[in-house]
Amino acid sequence: MKQELIKGNIAIAQSAFDAGCDSYFGYPITPQTEIGEYLSRIMPKNNRAYVCCESEIASINMCIGAAASGGHPMTSSASCAIALMQEGLSYACAQELPIVIASVMRAGPGLGNIYPSQADYNQAVKGGGNGDYHIIVLAPSNVQECINFTHKAFYLAQKYRNPVFILADGLLGQMMEPASFIEHPYEKIDNSSWVLTGAKGRSSKFIRSLSEKEAQHNEHVYKLFEKYKKIEENEVMYDENFTDDADLIVVSFGSLSRNVKAAVKEARRQGLKVGSFTPKTLYPFPTQRLRELSRRTKKFIVAEMNMGQMINDVIVATRCEDVRHIGRPAGNWLDIDEIIGEIKTTLGDVYAASI
Amino acid sequence: MPTMTQTSEKSLIIAGFGGQGVLLCGKIIANIFMLNGKKVTWYPCYGSEMRGGAVNCEIVVSDEEVTSVHKQQTDILLTLNDISYNRFLPQVKDGGRIIANTSLIKDIKEERNIEYIKADITDKASDLGNIKVTNMVALGLLSTLFDNVDFSHVEEIIKDMLPKNKADLVELNLKAFKAGKELRTERN
Repeated sequence: MKQELIKGNIAIAQSAFDAGCDSYFGYPITPQTEIGEYLSRIMPKNNRAYVCCESEIASINMCIGAAASGGHPMTSSASCAIALMQEGLSYACAQELPIVIASVMRAGPGLGNIYPSQADYNQAVKGGGNGDYHIIVLAPSNVQECINFTHKAFYLAQKYRNPVFILADGLLGQMMEPASFIEHPYEKIDNSSWVLTGAKGRSSKFIRSLSEKEAQHNEHVYKLFEKYKKIEENEVMYDENFTDDADLIVVSFGSLSRNVKAAVKEARRQGLKVGSFTPKTLYPFPTQRLRELSRRTKKFIVAEMNMGQMINDVIVATRCEDVRHIGRPAGNWLDIDEIIGEIKTTLGDVYAASI
Repeated sequence: MPTMTQTSEKSLIIAGFGGQGVLLCGKIIANIFMLNGKKVTWYPCYGSEMRGGAVNCEIVVSDEEVTSVHKQQTDILLTLNDISYNRFLPQVKDGGRIIANTSLIKDIKEERNIEYIKADITDKASDLGNIKVTNMVALGLLSTLFDNVDFSHVEEIIKDMLPKNKADLVELNLKAFKAGKELRTERN
């Protein structure tokens, strides 16, 4: 496969096009503006819809309309503007609509600034909309994964009739590295049973989020959670290194996991029994695998470019007492020596005698 | 007992002001590293950049997948104006190297354990008849710092990058690249 130097944002945009995205609705915001800019050039030329919306609230609601009528819509945005979409995302989950959202995190809260951050873990994974719902969240850590996960996002959205986040960050969106575009590797999903295409010659169908009767509503939510159970059983992705005999495992996601993997490799070289664990799906979270690992490993560090968000899922999964956080709100990524420093501090008791 | 981290990674910062072709210069060298079979990342400063404002990009090249894309210290600094020289100088590692564009950087004190490579890059571009090829002169000079990297791809990369109606500029850019390389030999 031919390697090209590709920017993360462009990787997501072109791969959305290749995966069959037929409608894009969005509003510019740093650090992901290139996604919309790129699609504004290629979508109209190929008879697909590109709409630069008046706001992110409009964007997500236009996605709802496009998805309900059988489209494969996408929107992309960042942090404070993803915040505006929360109502629409709750509705899209209730209405079981396949929408892909690329979220390229910058610093918050509020307008924050444009520097890269991972502080929207909770925003994507826990959500800010009302009610019981889940959005599938894929977290790429390099440009090739931006490509592969965008294809996967479109597939999973259709397969489960559910919104899917591609959760990247400003660093990943702005950086370039060699990668290869791929052909869409997934089967086409038949959506004819539910899409709204006009009721001529057939009985009418409904896509709505309001249930008038209590029983009807509960039945609907139970049905959603049967779906989420299937997602949790079938779609968990993670990557782990040196975990077999690890006294300590460092958990991280997204582009920071590159630094963590390097730090762990270096720590191993120095004779420390350390492993790394990288969830690739943040929902569904690899709870089961982390629980298995915690039977042997009792110490965990969660490294994330925020003040401590994923750590809560790691605590729940491992049920370990010694789960520490290392991170900061935004800007310069934790470097390898900082991570190794935290590894050594955490391992202190175990290694004090031997070093 | 600090143990130094062992890695084949080298990081390079290219910095100057908007309009000097800083980001493009970085993209070209990143492409060259890729075509030499290396792993490489290119990461720009981004946001409110504009012509005349400060611009920089960071390139990390390695034999294995690049770990940390944005580093706190750099091995090589190519700086095209005084603001970026002063800003990034403290980030250069001991034993690192600096290429400084002495057409625009006047006050260089060679105090630290760094190899200073000084050249009038902007003047050279003006001599060639177009100040816009400053970045290609700089790239030529930069290429002399990488012994085991084949820079012959530079022609195809420039041809790929220039729009068809600017094809006549290929020759000038290559000339600038060559002139940049010669700046190093002239001095040594």
